[in-house]
Amino acid sequence: MLCGKSGSGKSSILRTLLGLHPIKSGAVYFQEQPLTPSSVQTVRSCTAYIGQEPMLGAESVREALLLPFQFKTHRDHKPTEAQLIEVLQRLHLSADILRQESSRISGGEKQRIALARGLLLGKKLYLLDEVTSALDAESKQAVFDVFSDPQLTVLSVAHDPEWLERCGIVFELEAGRLTQVKRNGNT
Amino acid sequence: METLDIALPRMALLYGLCLLPWFLLWLIGLRLSRDIGISILRMSIQLTLVGIYLKMLFDLNHPWLNGLWILVMLLVADLSILRRAGLKARYFALATFTAIASSILFSTAYLVILVIQPTHFYDARYIVPLAGMILGNCLQGNVIALERFYSALRKNENEYATFLMLGATRWEAVLPYFREAVKAAINPTIAGMATMGLVSLPGMMTGQILGGSEPWLAVKYQIAIMICIFTSTTIACIINLKLSLNIAFNEFDVLRDEVIDKP
Repeated sequence: MLCGKSGSGKSSILRTLLGLHPIKSGAVYFQEQPLTPSSVQTVRSCTAYIGQEPMLGAESVREALLLPFQFKTHRDHKPTEAQLIEVLQRLHLSADILRQESSRISGGEKQRIALARGLLLGKKLYLLDEVTSALDAESKQAVFDVFSDPQLTVLSVAHDPEWLERCGIVFELEAGRLTQVKRNGNT
Repeated sequence: METLDIALPRMALLYGLCLLPWFLLWLIGLRLSRDIGISILRMSIQLTLVGIYLKMLFDLNHPWLNGLWILVMLLVADLSILRRAGLKARYFALATFTAIASSILFSTAYLVILVIQPTHFYDARYIVPLAGMILGNCLQGNVIALERFYSALRKNENEYATFLMLGATRWEAVLPYFREAVKAAINPTIAGMATMGLVSLPGMMTGQILGGSEPWLAVKYQIAIMICIFTSTTIACIINLKLSLNIAFNEFDVLRDEVIDKP
């Protein structure tokens, strides 16, 4: 987990890992390979990035969930109705939300729809940028449970103490520099 | 049937007509005398020079000279499109020139060689005004297309990044903005065709009728020019946007800040 004050560079790190933020020095490595224009597509295809204010990019919730499956990479893996409902239920969302317009749902629902979309893509690495900031305690718990799956690797930006407790490694940043690394609560 | 000439004293009378709107604007407190004066003066000087040049061009009717004139028009249009769309000419000039030159040359050649079939395909009387009219409309369309596309991308930077993160290629991620930009660029032409003759009589047709042509002939030419404007605007906008994609993004598919002209 990445933590630190506002402006310390937490979100920039997530965006840098995906090639969305230019780097002036140093290099980014993913699975021991440097991030290059030719490897960035591979990195992006293994990763789900969900921001604090996620963009759903479609008019209805159903369209938003199915959006990535319009792209060539995922076209052959379109989820079934049952899979859509199952992933929504895991995040404490009812199946009725599929019929709603994206602009009419709350910030918390939007965050969970974006997480559901990431889960539908079956990614192994999740980059989560304060994704529980608009969630109530119950929904937050559901998100914690889903991402506690040992099969998944999660690199998150969060301020939540509960989220902090569940993380294996905590990286503390200050003014763009790494100041501390904590493992399982020990410095 | 000859068009009646307007003698110089009557031209002076025509300029006198401008005093009426000038007086009305002055009455409502709009002090635009300087702007109006400069605009009328510029229009008069520019058109006089074009008149002298066109007279020379028509008299000589040389294929290379006609071609050179079209090349100059294309170069001026190229720079004008990029300036008005807020993009830096040093990055996009070649792409925009390629797009407008190919579409204008294609549609003008199609119209002149296949449809009108004059004795010489390079006849200045046909090729210069037709290419000019098509280019003028194509210019407007390309300004709208480029401006809309790059403003939408900058405004929806997060959405575009989301598409990339969801597995879209650069082309798949820009496609919604690309479609909207092309639609906005060709909409005025489509709307213009739908209302043509009902709302207003088009300029070219009016000019031909005043020039002594039969209304039927003027109608045929107007239809021909509208179809060519529609075709060339659509082709130029699509080629222009497509070529610009290779310039405006870095190798990680992120929009390069330096290509946009900051206001």
